[in-house]
Amino acid sequence: MEVLLGITGKDFVLTASDATVARGIVVQKRGEDKSRALNKHNLMLFTGEAGDTTQFAEYIQCNTQLYRMRNGMDLSTKAVASYVRKELATSLRSRNPYTVNLLIGGVDPKTGTPSLYWLDYLSSSVKLNYAAHGYASYFCMSTMDRYWKEGLSLDEAVNLLKKCLEELKVRFIGNLPKFVVKVTDVNGIREIEI
Amino acid sequence: MSIMEYNGGAIIAMKGKGCVAIAADRRFGVQALTLGTDFQKVFPATDKIYFGLAGLATDVQTLSEKFRMKVDMYHLREEREITPKTFAHMVSSTLYEKRFGGYFCFPTIAGLDAKNEPYICNMDGIGCITTPNDFVVSGTAENQLYGMCEALWEPDLEPEDLFETISQALMNGVDRDAISGWGGIVHVITPEGVITRTLKGRMD
Amino acid sequence: MGGNIEHRFSPYTDNGGTTLAIAGEDFCVVAGDTRQSEGYLINARYSPKVYHLKNNAVLATGGMHADGVALVKRIGQNLDWYVHKHEKQMSAPALAQMLSTILYSKRFFPYYVWNTLGGLDENGKGCVFSYDPVGNFEKQHWSCSGSAGHLIQPFLDNQIGHKHQSNVEHHLLPLDQVLKIVKDAFNGATERDIYTGDFVEIFIITKDGVTVQKHDLKKD
Repeated sequence: MEVLLGITGKDFVLTASDATVARGIVVQKRGEDKSRALNKHNLMLFTGEAGDTTQFAEYIQCNTQLYRMRNGMDLSTKAVASYVRKELATSLRSRNPYTVNLLIGGVDPKTGTPSLYWLDYLSSSVKLNYAAHGYASYFCMSTMDRYWKEGLSLDEAVNLLKKCLEELKVRFIGNLPKFVVKVTDVNGIREIEI
Repeated sequence: MSIMEYNGGAIIAMKGKGCVAIAADRRFGVQALTLGTDFQKVFPATDKIYFGLAGLATDVQTLSEKFRMKVDMYHLREEREITPKTFAHMVSSTLYEKRFGGYFCFPTIAGLDAKNEPYICNMDGIGCITTPNDFVVSGTAENQLYGMCEALWEPDLEPEDLFETISQALMNGVDRDAISGWGGIVHVITPEGVITRTLKGRMD
Repeated sequence: MGGNIEHRFSPYTDNGGTTLAIAGEDFCVVAGDTRQSEGYLINARYSPKVYHLKNNAVLATGGMHADGVALVKRIGQNLDWYVHKHEKQMSAPALAQMLSTILYSKRFFPYYVWNTLGGLDENGKGCVFSYDPVGNFEKQHWSCSGSAGHLIQPFLDNQIGHKHQSNVEHHLLPLDQVLKIVKDAFNGATERDIYTGDFVEIFIITKDGVTVQKHDLKKD
């Protein structure tokens, strides 16, 4: 029932994750942030097996930050995605693999060019203009197919995101009252209210 | 549903007169849901060898990276380019290393050898090689592609005719498979160089 | 000693084989191979599964041979009764609807048969109808089913439907070209499908009646 969404725009990536932590039929928390900032310009969103998710995300977060300390520069979005894919692929064929689905969004700090990577727990990695994880993909991909275009402004992207969340409200059986929405651009990562 | 049908995809390779062609569809999906339409399934190994990987997308990516590393290491150690036959056996033994619990990928290889003789082959998930002298197909649209290739292919096709043949086989084949298609890519390998073209297709 | 012996009877078997039908402007071609097999055994090399019916429609059956024979017998009886009642032959589209009704009447113990019906409609134009075992049917220009159906269908899309061919005039093909395509289709399918082979029988339906051609296919 967890939902992740990502939309690339002209010079930013807009991401949304539902804020609900549920176990079985019980909602345990509303207001969870299912994302981690890997560095100033890259954000990773995650869903999957409870425990695996934060453990894996923070492992990646720590290692990308260690990379910066050692090398004095940050990994690009593509580099992060490749690194994460390798970690997840290695884990997949280990004795207890991580069951984690990810979206990695970021911008090139110099040019502002956005990129968004979709990874599933099998470690298939694809670069997409807009992406969704979980049941949301069945409801929102068509909306984004219809309305996404090259070089969206932030307002346009937020409107598209609203359309997607509205669709979930209308047609998705799950109750997801709150989403954590973030924008990643050259200035860094910030949370916004929509 | 079989794990080989989780992401979908179709690959063909064909022999021509002094040339070979390899083609694949471009869909990335999870079961019936299409997510991407520019997924790479065919990779260059050298200037004259291309390989395609059909099957589970994660293994397509893992193996393509592994093969790139092995080809580069061969190049550095031997100071010469790998031949298609050697490359095929490298791929085969890489797969057979994981005989029990292996990769869910069926590779297809197309290339020209040192004498510019065409070479094609494909193999199963544990590296059993087959080297026919006409064409090879693999992926979820295998049956459709066999039907198309068997009817369209003829010996000694020139590069442009080979391109048309492999393209028609691919496009018509994938249109009868629900989880392949969304455009295609064709590489025709000739002694003079590689002709790469992308094909538009039905987006359903 | 001790264990119970279970006896199970399955009323169905798959005898393989491939059929196709193509509608032309003023003709219709229906074809099928003649191999009849069961698993890795070939029961017969010449066991036709394409039937010329009394109203000059041609029915290609595939799947279980015995059910195909039973179905064709029943259709034959119905066609005779129709003549007695109405003093004329049933049209092919009427037969198409009747076949669907017959198949659905056995919805819960179906004839294990994939039918393809070819004939001429009231205006003398070629028509093709394809069915599943419980009577879903659709009028088509070309159709193919059976064990090599997956192999031949895209080839027909390409050659008969001109799919993915730009700068080509889209028109219904003349009979001689259709016959060439049918032979190519079956030769190709025979190469890869173990259940297709031996002979292909091609029925050509025109306003003057039905003619049959028989061609060799590989027997391995």
